[in-house]
Amino acid sequence: MTAAVATRPTTHAEKEPRKSHANVYFGVIAWIIGIIFVVPVLFMILTSFHSEADASTNPPSVGAPLTLDGYREFFSGGIDPWPYLANSLTASVLSTIIVLALAIPAAYACSIRPVRKWTDVMFFFLSTKMLPPVAGLLPIYLIAQRINMLDNIFLLVILYTSMNLPIAVWMMRSFLAEIPPAILEAASIDGAGLLYQMRRIIVPISMPGIAATSLICFIFSWNELLFARVLTGVSAQTGPVFLTSFVTSQGLFLAKVCAAATIVSLPVLIAGFAAQDKLVQGLSLGAVK
Amino acid sequence: MTLTSKPADAEPTAVGGPGATDVERAQKRGPGRDPDVVGLGRGRASLFVAPALVLVGVFLVFPALWTLYLGLLDYSLTGASAQSPTFIGAQNYTDALSDPAFTKALYLTLLYVGFSAVIGQNILGFLLAWYFRTAPRAVRTTLNVLVLLAWILPGSVVAFLWQALLDRRDGILNTVLQTTGVAWTNDHPMAVIVIFNIWRGAAFSMLLYAAALNTVPTSHLEVARMAGARPWQQLRDVVLPTVRRHVLTNTLLITLWTFNDFTPFLLTGGGPNHESETLPVYIYSTAILHGDLGYGSAISLLLLLANLVIAVFYIRLLRGGDDGSLKAQQRAERKARRAERAVAT
Repeated sequence: MTAAVATRPTTHAEKEPRKSHANVYFGVIAWIIGIIFVVPVLFMILTSFHSEADASTNPPSVGAPLTLDGYREFFSGGIDPWPYLANSLTASVLSTIIVLALAIPAAYACSIRPVRKWTDVMFFFLSTKMLPPVAGLLPIYLIAQRINMLDNIFLLVILYTSMNLPIAVWMMRSFLAEIPPAILEAASIDGAGLLYQMRRIIVPISMPGIAATSLICFIFSWNELLFARVLTGVSAQTGPVFLTSFVTSQGLFLAKVCAAATIVSLPVLIAGFAAQDKLVQGLSLGAVK
Repeated sequence: MTLTSKPADAEPTAVGGPGATDVERAQKRGPGRDPDVVGLGRGRASLFVAPALVLVGVFLVFPALWTLYLGLLDYSLTGASAQSPTFIGAQNYTDALSDPAFTKALYLTLLYVGFSAVIGQNILGFLLAWYFRTAPRAVRTTLNVLVLLAWILPGSVVAFLWQALLDRRDGILNTVLQTTGVAWTNDHPMAVIVIFNIWRGAAFSMLLYAAALNTVPTSHLEVARMAGARPWQQLRDVVLPTVRRHVLTNTLLITLWTFNDFTPFLLTGGGPNHESETLPVYIYSTAILHGDLGYGSAISLLLLLANLVIAVFYIRLLRGGDDGSLKAQQRAERKARRAERAVAT
């Protein structure tokens, strides 16, 4: 044991500089990784502000003068992108609103006042996330074809709603479970009805959770590509689907395409950074806080 | 129905402890209290849950079951069998299992999932999170944002960016590496989609592990450090036993996502010569591009079964590992105590 006493201070003293060295290397590597991660995005944003002539040079002319021509060309150069962006916005916002309207009561019933069998309900929701989306695609396509719902934005609204519902219920449950039941008990003893409790207690307390849930549902709906690609044609095409066809037809005009990609990314970028710290809790279905 | 009820039954320990702990908590406080203090009776509770259940049932579960039936038909989008699909029994399924294209797609999917998710995203995410623990706050936030960018952008945007990056003539990669005229997506399609998916998905693992590492008590690490444990020993004996459940949860989630990921199609189109055709891409090209709905449905169902197998496998690990991790924890605690004693004397 005396040996331990004797060696401890020296090992401790040696440890410090070695640790910081390792940390410096680690830090450099982490930064390199970070830069690799961001290069494509920087390329996109930078190129979108360049003229077509500067955008097409190789190597890329980083310091070229900035211009809004790419965006001008995108919005008023032949194909009007607004209908597609509007479709995406409709599908994402509407489905997010419906998801919240259905998920909050469901999560409430499963968390604040658990009734019998509520875990079965929760696990039913969870198990649907194990179904591959592509497996449901073909039946939905056939049914939509039969009832003339193909190329209809409301089909996407309903589908995105049901796809995001399980996640939203799990997320909301994990946020609602943080409300101390004593508050609700006190309120109900004071004679507050359910609606009043919802409005004045539950919603205000869980507002950050509701915001995070809606942002995540918005991101998922906006980014969804497979269903949007297969189930829409001309009039209900969403922004990301429009972008893929735009890349194919206008690929040579790099600045214009980069402007298009930036515009299509903008809503999720804003939503993503607003939801950043709650993202994991939601996406791991409340497994991690 | 067995398909959907099976994971539900096997679930209780599924996504991490919280489900299980909540069940326990609910059971603990259940009988002791009046179940209706807050005034949500059984009828109203069902009413609250019903709309969500119906919607999910109709639009997620029903189509998946319908796929099972479609897989039993000779059914095409065009041609004679488009008008009157005929019932051909399990032939689509037996065809698929003996179809080299299907086997190849399954093999490529396993490669894709194994290298990009289970190994790539997992390890890169963990290392970044490990570094973040000691990094200054500003550095952490900045890197977080940079890595998150890749995760959050729409698939069509990132696919376009990578195409521009890897382009044969004007691609940045060729310029940087001084390799003129290398067609990356054509020459190394699998490597491209694997690296692409690591790049795209690492953020999630990073965020999850950053949260998980927060649960490791710093005192344990300090004790281990004072006892002279090297960083990797600390990692093995203190950190990994603590975050074991998080590792499994994370691996389950990213495995399922990557398994069903359709984005490789946007990058390589499954080509060249089906060399990067993972299962979702194969289903898409069979059923939608070539219009073979019956066969496509049969493969979809096999994909679904593969998903269930993965889920059940991980759940077993989570469940069966319970006493395993307990032992590991006890071992870690014993070690920590011993170290403490050594330091004290």
